[in-house]
Amino acid sequence: MDKRKVEEYIFKVLMLGAVLIVIGSLVFILATILVKGLPTLSWEMITKTPQGGYYMGKGGGILNALLGSLLLGIGATILAAAVALPIVFYLNLYLRRRSRFALAVRFFLDVLWGIPSVVYGAFGFTLMIFFGLQASLLAGMITVALLVLPIMARGMDEVLKMVTFELQEASLALGATRLETAGKVIFRQAFPGILTAVLMAFGRGMSDAAAVLFTAGFTDSLPYSLFKPVATLPLAVFFQLGTPFPEVQSRGYAAALILTAIVFSLSILARLITRGMNKHVIK
Amino acid sequence: MASEVSQNHIRVRDLSVRYGSTRVLNNISIDIPDKKITAIIGPSGCGKTTLLKSFNRLIDLQEGVSVSGQVFVDDEDIYDPKTEITHLRKRMGLLSQRPQVLPMSIYENVVYGLRVHGEKSKEKLNAAVERYLKEAHMWHEVKDRLHTSAAKLSIGQQQRLCLARGLAVGPEVILGDEPTSALDPISAEQIEQRFLALKDKYTIVLVTHILRQARRLADYVVFLYLGNLIEHGPAEEVLNNPRYAKTKAYLEGRFIEEPEIEKELDLIKLTFPESLKALEKVFKELKVGQVLRIVSGEKNLQGLIRSPLVAQHTVLEIKKRDALTSEVIMQKNEGGYSI
Repeated sequence: MDKRKVEEYIFKVLMLGAVLIVIGSLVFILATILVKGLPTLSWEMITKTPQGGYYMGKGGGILNALLGSLLLGIGATILAAAVALPIVFYLNLYLRRRSRFALAVRFFLDVLWGIPSVVYGAFGFTLMIFFGLQASLLAGMITVALLVLPIMARGMDEVLKMVTFELQEASLALGATRLETAGKVIFRQAFPGILTAVLMAFGRGMSDAAAVLFTAGFTDSLPYSLFKPVATLPLAVFFQLGTPFPEVQSRGYAAALILTAIVFSLSILARLITRGMNKHVIK
Repeated sequence: MASEVSQNHIRVRDLSVRYGSTRVLNNISIDIPDKKITAIIGPSGCGKTTLLKSFNRLIDLQEGVSVSGQVFVDDEDIYDPKTEITHLRKRMGLLSQRPQVLPMSIYENVVYGLRVHGEKSKEKLNAAVERYLKEAHMWHEVKDRLHTSAAKLSIGQQQRLCLARGLAVGPEVILGDEPTSALDPISAEQIEQRFLALKDKYTIVLVTHILRQARRLADYVVFLYLGNLIEHGPAEEVLNNPRYAKTKAYLEGRFIEEPEIEKELDLIKLTFPESLKALEKVFKELKVGQVLRIVSGEKNLQGLIRSPLVAQHTVLEIKKRDALTSEVIMQKNEGGYSI
């Protein structure tokens, strides 16, 4: 037998195996929450707030957590984008390609990316105590914004790196300033990628439990103030799965199903939106 | 220097450009004639593009660039810190090697520069789109799809769109950095036709490595080699009857050889009678075919070249060392200097 052919074959099998592990775990997770959560998934769950004794098996729903997570996710994403966009435009347009400062910033972002979310939660908590705040929607938003900032910024950064220098030059040569070039040309060219980075960060921010545990708190009422605690889906899942009652646990899986469905439909939506938006993008 | 009266838009004085520690241009001094096509020729990596992009200060964007000397555009030193760079760039349209359309519609591409410079009137923008697409000779091709994406145009059309976009901001100068090198022959031909049609209205500077293109288009030719300005002058003179050996070698497609310097004479430290004696001595000693380098002050350079002593020698090259000193490299005739 030809040794190189065998090699080729072995590696093909290994790669296929790796692909199967990824697809398999996704399918397995989806199957678990579907099988365990679908029986208790009901209209009531997403339209009502928890009644007294909900976590003991009484009636009600998790509308509070659903709305809370959406609000918190949106707020955190906007905050993070407001910081990430200037960072990445500065890195890619204003600094030279091999600037040491840019290298350092990218390194710090990568380190921040690797920090576990519970550490962000603890950090947010310390800040809250320092400023004398209680667990609230705002505190949760700020903490989650910090958590998703590196993800968003590095995502956008990679997209902006792909925009050619010549395109930038073409705009500058017409007498545009760097800011005009950034806003009118580079942003448009990179928009689909930037949107993907934003939605990726949104999905990540919405589904994190540890960062909001101390900072956003939990409540049975609907979110109505930035300065009051807010319920979130990941914590709703966590609390329900933590009870000894099988039907409440099943509701926990149903809540997980809702969360997954939101993140899933968002990424599909992102693809549809960007498909419409990138007709002018230069390939 | 700024008071110096001149008809030419672009005058370069002792321009040196370095990228980090690499010298890309050495003491270039040159006037670019108005309303003519000037071709900058030379082998790759000799600083052609750098010279071109120093005219609209796009070289500022390069890593670790440092510039000394002056470039005057309409008697204004553009490397003066007070120069408004966006206004400078507005006066120069740029065509790059690969057409770079902006990620927007054909219409928006043409009016981009106008909008950036504050034009808001819808009628004026519409009129500009029609006028400049006509000047770029593509109005009839795209007039029914002005609002479709520019990225969908063919590459030749994209380059003409870039031309229209550049013309729309009302420049005096068009800079072309090998603008036809990415195009198919027919599209390249169309761009060349545009240049010939536009040269009555604009000063056009082209970087090209295609000698035939220089012959077809250029009124004036600048030959650069390894960052040195070797020769410049009217196209027919430089292209048909080059003065210096390196130009000749390049035009004939031969390898450009650095002449081996056998004797050297520094006239800088010598005063009149001694310098003449030294010259006579060194010319006497120089054997046929040998190469001599004379370092001379800028003031005495022309006198030196025209002096009867030099008559039996071929001047191979005149290199500027800095603003005040030059090197003349010459070879003794008979038997001839041939590479």
